[in-house]
Amino acid sequence: MNTNMKVLVVDDFSTMRRIIKNLLRDLGFTNVQEADDGATALPMLQNGDFEFVVTDWNMPGMQGIDLLRAIRADDRLKHIPVLMVTAEAKKEQIIAAAQAGVNGYIVKPFTAATLKEKLEKVFERLG
Amino acid sequence: MSSKIPYISLEMAKDLVTLLEQGDIDAANLIVEECSKAASEELFAEVGKLTRQLHDSLQDFQLDSRIANLANEDIPDAQNRLAYVIEMTENAANKTMDAVEASIPVAENLSSNIKTVIPSWDKLMSRQISLQEFKELCYSVDDILKKVDGDSDQLRVHLNEVLMAQDFQDLTGQVIRRVIDLVREVEDNLIHLLTVFGSPPETLIEEEKSKSGLNEKAEGPIIDAEERADVVSDQDDVDDLLSSLGF
Repeated sequence: MNTNMKVLVVDDFSTMRRIIKNLLRDLGFTNVQEADDGATALPMLQNGDFEFVVTDWNMPGMQGIDLLRAIRADDRLKHIPVLMVTAEAKKEQIIAAAQAGVNGYIVKPFTAATLKEKLEKVFERLG
Repeated sequence: MSSKIPYISLEMAKDLVTLLEQGDIDAANLIVEECSKAASEELFAEVGKLTRQLHDSLQDFQLDSRIANLANEDIPDAQNRLAYVIEMTENAANKTMDAVEASIPVAENLSSNIKTVIPSWDKLMSRQISLQEFKELCYSVDDILKKVDGDSDQLRVHLNEVLMAQDFQDLTGQVIRRVIDLVREVEDNLIHLLTVFGSPPETLIEEEKSKSGLNEKAEGPIIDAEERADVVSDQDDVDDLLSSLGF
């Protein structure tokens, strides 16, 4: 796992961004930036060299699922792995996220161990 | 014969027939007017009564100051209260994270200080230490002990901050309980309204259901996952579902 990669954390609650940032730092990821919804995140992704996105689903403005679809629809971004960390727990939503090309799905509340496990799995699969 | 009183008495009817036979139209019309007056008076009285009832219930409805209060004061007040809950929980989360973030370097320092003396300490324990090294070890241990004393005080302060940050629970609990009471009252009033004005046709309700039903719309945290078949209850469920999809 290359922990030097640039990571974007997207969540409308600053406390959740802070928690994820802290957990990522604990796992060695120090190059982490934040956005408060999909509409803020997308231009950041288009202008920056991000290699990983952690996003919430339910946000004002652009929702996480739409951000995921926008990333997959953009030729320059579609390779970026996306991990969803969300309270949304309907089976249909998880299926929709899988169909949209999500790389991992974590339901809140979650533990540090879950985040670590899913992150490792995402990068293991990508090789 | 029923006990109903006819609009026209037998005598008057006979008079009417006689007058019509005699061709006295004016007098005959007078009798007819007289009779229909009784009937229409009853009708007017009934309409009047209904009007008064309608007026009274509308008046009651407007005068029910509780409903006006609910709409004008209590619901905006509840919005403020819930905003206060968000603010309180956010502050608590930030205070806790401040304390944790301040504690992490203290813990890291502690660990790295101890790691630096462990090699010399091991030598001491296995009696393989030189006098010079022993002297250095003594100074290092002395230094660490003093630092640890200060650091542990600092950690205690931070832990205390974490503890105190939990004081929101009591306050937000009270606020949320009041909002729950308000929601219950609004529910009661809505039910009352529905019983007064009738409920919408079933078909409308059905249509609403299918409109908001099967989709991937965001719903927020699920609080009754055990009772629902359309949601996952934990991360294991998510993993199972995803692996069934070939993930």
